[in-house]
Amino acid sequence: MVTVNRLENSPVKNLQSFSMVSTVQNTDVKQKDADRAVVVAVTSRAVFESGAEDSDGVHGAGIAFPLLQAFQRVNERLLEENPAESLLFDVVLITTDSQQQQQSSRIISSTRQHGLEVSRLCFSSEEDFIESLLKNNVQLFLSTDRNETSQASQKGVLSALLDETAASCPSEQLRVLFCGDAVIRPDAGPTSASKRAAQSFSAQLGEMRRRFGVLDSPLSITLMTSGGGRESCGGALRTLRSLGVSADEAYCLAGAPRGPILSLLRHHFLLSDGLGAVED
Amino acid sequence: MSLSSGQTLTVGGQDLTKDGGGRAPWEDVKPSTPTRKPKTPKPQDAITIAVSARVLFNMEKEQQIYEQRGVEEYVKYQVEHETEPFSPGPAFSFVKALEAVNAQLRELYTDSEELFDVVLMTNNHAYVGLRLINTINHHQLFIERFCMTGGNSPIGYLKAYHANLYLSADPVKVREALEEGIAAATMFTPEKMKEVSETQLRVAFDGDAVLFSDESERIYKAHGLDKFFEHEKAHENKLLDHGPLKCFLEALGKLQKKFYGKGQRMDCPIRTYLVTARSAASSGTRALKTLRSWGLEIDEALFLAGAPKGPMLEKIRPHIFFDDQMFHVEGAAEMGTVACHVPYGIAQKVANKGTKDKETTSK
Repeated sequence: MVTVNRLENSPVKNLQSFSMVSTVQNTDVKQKDADRAVVVAVTSRAVFESGAEDSDGVHGAGIAFPLLQAFQRVNERLLEENPAESLLFDVVLITTDSQQQQQSSRIISSTRQHGLEVSRLCFSSEEDFIESLLKNNVQLFLSTDRNETSQASQKGVLSALLDETAASCPSEQLRVLFCGDAVIRPDAGPTSASKRAAQSFSAQLGEMRRRFGVLDSPLSITLMTSGGGRESCGGALRTLRSLGVSADEAYCLAGAPRGPILSLLRHHFLLSDGLGAVED
Repeated sequence: MSLSSGQTLTVGGQDLTKDGGGRAPWEDVKPSTPTRKPKTPKPQDAITIAVSARVLFNMEKEQQIYEQRGVEEYVKYQVEHETEPFSPGPAFSFVKALEAVNAQLRELYTDSEELFDVVLMTNNHAYVGLRLINTINHHQLFIERFCMTGGNSPIGYLKAYHANLYLSADPVKVREALEEGIAAATMFTPEKMKEVSETQLRVAFDGDAVLFSDESERIYKAHGLDKFFEHEKAHENKLLDHGPLKCFLEALGKLQKKFYGKGQRMDCPIRTYLVTARSAASSGTRALKTLRSWGLEIDEALFLAGAPKGPMLEKIRPHIFFDDQMFHVEGAAEMGTVACHVPYGIAQKVANKGTKDKETTSK
């Protein structure tokens, strides 16, 4: 059951029953076109540093903060190119942590305080958060919790794990890494729903990228293939192209250790075959 | 340079199996049977040579488009011509020779990863990627690793790959690499490239400010050639400090020893040369003693006592020649040698001051 409350000065009531999924609209932010927007859900745990609050009870910035700013930057630039643009990122915050739920008002006020362009805030239990994702038509789910991304993937929602490296990434450019040896095996992968989700998101990302020129783009797409050689990477470039995605950067490792290269790429998140798990 | 893939040189379509006398397993490869391809060596074991796209291939036309019409037109042109392979650039025959050495090393040491590993390190955006891959395929080069940095600096990636040598057409990147302690040089394209060996890799080095530090070079610049000879003779037992390409010579020496170990000393597939203005009679001793104390061997030391290097290099036919002075690099290129500038040391500051004086003895 979804209830939609208007955001007022009075705080949202604490949720007593955790089988309820609730969504709060942020009236500070213009809601996006439901048909065209790319809905990205990020856990509030990733966005805000829990336990670190200032005297007004506003949360400090967490790992995913630059990432959210980068999404915002892309939207700003898209609207600069075309004020009527409807293909925008629609960022929603999802809170599953019961502790954070009790501080839902703090999350809401922190969101406003930091001026984050978050259109909706979803509150649900750990058990029901997938339902929340599906109900909100989430096309990409980002979390610092491997279990969450794994579960979401299995239910067909494209997911990616966020780690500390995301925190040191630029906020002026959204940097997405396609990892993959997985990209060239379009038939591998757990569920066809997951595959479809990955392809659809990629296609939308590609379309957004095309709105900008070669240089000075607020969105950068990187391809990295780790195992195979140049044919593997060539194949991946072709597959991406067939989805309408043109990579800006490409790295073919042919078995060289991934770690040193990964640390240079400064990507906000990594998409492999939709599982969200980062192989090492 | 106007080489097309049809011209004779050591390029394109040459069957390595005929020359090396051994198998070239990768020639049998179809993408569906990756296990038959020789494995790319681990970066820490291999001698990694990073080359930029513009030195590996001839991209003059495209470079012009980029400079005159901008990056969007450049990328568009590249994509439109994606299936047209580039013709070889100045580093091409060097890379082919590296592969020939690898083939021979694999024959002698089947499981060793102490081989050359060529990495394509380019600033290009991945839009150009497919054309580059198609070109590598066309020329049957064994390059499996690449970085297309889309405009970002290659320096971090050079380090990540433990690059032993970086060759680029861009002097700015080369300087950056040198500052980070990576052996690097700016490669120039000769008007007409002389034919070079397909079976024996030949690498020629200048001495001062390349293998050795520029300390003696400074004497020459301040006081002239004669004083330089005197000074060197007086200090012949004092070791010179090392220069930016010393480690690369060392890496070559490591592979040479592998051939010696199998009885291939006389016609080793790797041959190194020192081509220096030092004189055998005086200043040469200090150089040789320094090399010996480093445990490095050089196959041939040519002491020119100030004479021009071009004609000597034309006799040697190295695949690549490193010098810190543009005067020598240009002289070598004029006579068909692929010459690279190492922008290191005192010669760079002096070079900025003005044109070369043709009356003074060259060093």
